[in-house]
Amino acid sequence: MDLSELERDNTGRCRLNSPVPSVCCKEPCVLGVDEAGRGPVLGPMVYAICYCPLSRLADLEALKVADSKTLSESERDRLFAKMEEDGDFVGWALDVLSPNLISTSMLGRVKYNLNSLSHDTATGLVQYALDQGVKVAQVFVDTVGPPETYQERLQQRFPGVEVTVKAKADALYPVVSAASICAKVARDQAVKNWKFVEKLQDLDTDYGSGYPSDPKTKAWLREHVDPVFGFPQFVRFSWRTAQSILEKEAEDVTWEDSQTGDQEGLKRIKSYFSKGPRARLPHRYFQERGLESATIL
Amino acid sequence: MAAGVDCGEGASARQHVFLVPDTACFYRLTDCGNSALEYLKEASKKMKSGLMFVKLVNPRSGEGVSYLFNMCLPQLFEIKVFKEKNHSWFINESVQSGGLLHFATPMDPLFLLLHYLIKADREGKFQPLDQVVMDDMFPNCILLLKLPELEKLLQHVTEEKEIDKKKYYKYSKEKTLKWLEKKVNQTMAALKTNNVNVGARVQSTAFFSGDPLSSDKEEDYIRYAHGLISEYIPKELSDDLSKYLKLPEPPASVPNPPSKKVKLSDEPVEAKEDYTKFNTKDLKTVKKNSKMTAAQKALAKVDKSGMKSIDSFFGAKHVKKNWKDLKL
Repeated sequence: MDLSELERDNTGRCRLNSPVPSVCCKEPCVLGVDEAGRGPVLGPMVYAICYCPLSRLADLEALKVADSKTLSESERDRLFAKMEEDGDFVGWALDVLSPNLISTSMLGRVKYNLNSLSHDTATGLVQYALDQGVKVAQVFVDTVGPPETYQERLQQRFPGVEVTVKAKADALYPVVSAASICAKVARDQAVKNWKFVEKLQDLDTDYGSGYPSDPKTKAWLREHVDPVFGFPQFVRFSWRTAQSILEKEAEDVTWEDSQTGDQEGLKRIKSYFSKGPRARLPHRYFQERGLESATIL
Repeated sequence: MAAGVDCGEGASARQHVFLVPDTACFYRLTDCGNSALEYLKEASKKMKSGLMFVKLVNPRSGEGVSYLFNMCLPQLFEIKVFKEKNHSWFINESVQSGGLLHFATPMDPLFLLLHYLIKADREGKFQPLDQVVMDDMFPNCILLLKLPELEKLLQHVTEEKEIDKKKYYKYSKEKTLKWLEKKVNQTMAALKTNNVNVGARVQSTAFFSGDPLSSDKEEDYIRYAHGLISEYIPKELSDDLSKYLKLPEPPASVPNPPSKKVKLSDEPVEAKEDYTKFNTKDLKTVKKNSKMTAAQKALAKVDKSGMKSIDSFFGAKHVKKNWKDLKL
């Protein structure tokens, strides 16, 4: 899999895709959606779709694609190569969301949670397939959150398509298994060859699985805290694990929307109506511009 | 303007971000014993003395504030600090918390001299300047005496006598007010060229009024300029200046939008901007109130004896009445 485009700039999102097999534009197709790297505190989250004509579903099953979690890395690589070989009827597309994009989305002034980000990415990929002329008839999705509401939402978004959202769909439907293999292969490769934006010397890349429960990952995080900047962009700042380490090891930062609990500036409403002489405040010209006379120099 | 930032003593020393006028002498930053400014000390080792930070009196409050004094011109600069919540600087390879931005801007030294002249005026006699400009709290005030063309400056605000080739000065309120009026006019001109929003209306963007957006009035400019000049003179003089300029009373009662609760009355309500109009009980008051910005001058002369205070709208009587209405 060629991830060079991601490696050029891994601070945003990156879409990769196979050429669309011509048969997929003629025959009704089945499409699977799955993701890899939802839980880790490190690295990107990858969303993948895989599609093939309904008539060739048996051929996809013959490849013995199965839930990516039950396969070893080498088996996954082998299966992905096979799918590439069968490019005449199997197509795929990926959306790689960088850890930086995940952090900035979730920590923005308007909170954009991981579920919404996931759903929107999945929807975007299905739409992409439709835009490419793929005749999508059925969509199978491995669920994120409660399957009922997710299915309802996707069904509303794509009324002409039969949508099925199910937990463990990657074990039940071969087309979802195939998508999960694409996602997992892409994520593994992205993490392995991650190009750090930061100019860090002697950065050790032995960070374990990247999941918060991994002691190796936790140790790596603690070793890579900068008191001012925190972590490199490879880390998802929005993860609880990352935040608690920052709270302990890094300097405090107050933002415009930080809840500092300070009541400064909150006056009783009555104080605005009092008749008493008010202190001579600086002229509004200075107040409006945040200017005051220097006294501490 | 030039930005001056430097420290060079590692992350621990406090760094100050300065905007100073691009004057020939300004690269000669130096320190006159202000321990807070470590970087200036550093600079003074390298450069000849030219500029120094001094603590002098703030003519408005009488408290001590910082000034910058340029020894080579000599010239006085006031220092203003931009200070807002949640700001920090990244300066090269360091972080400076606070996000303060310091401005050194030229200051008319006459404002400072006035502070001492007014103080000395209590003795009511002509005095030599070195007896006037004396301060135990801020001994650096003698620097003011080094300023060029001091005598010419003082003509604006003092009466003077010359005996044995020595000059004696006495504060003159009349001259000072005349001089301040010129200052106000100059400030007004500057406000206009810089498009400063002086209207009272900008104070609340949430309050909408139906009448067409009037551009700022001359009177608003005078009041605004008077307010700005008042930042540099004591309160008493500011009040005197206000009278001298024939400014109406400051808007002690800024036209508050009438309480919304008043709408809940038994009287018919017409779809007009002034929806309290038919609240006959308050008709007089409200009418006067709403006219205020339009004719503040008139207001100043109005007999206020019959007017209700804003507090009355929050009184128990109204609350009760409204509750009754709500139950219907």
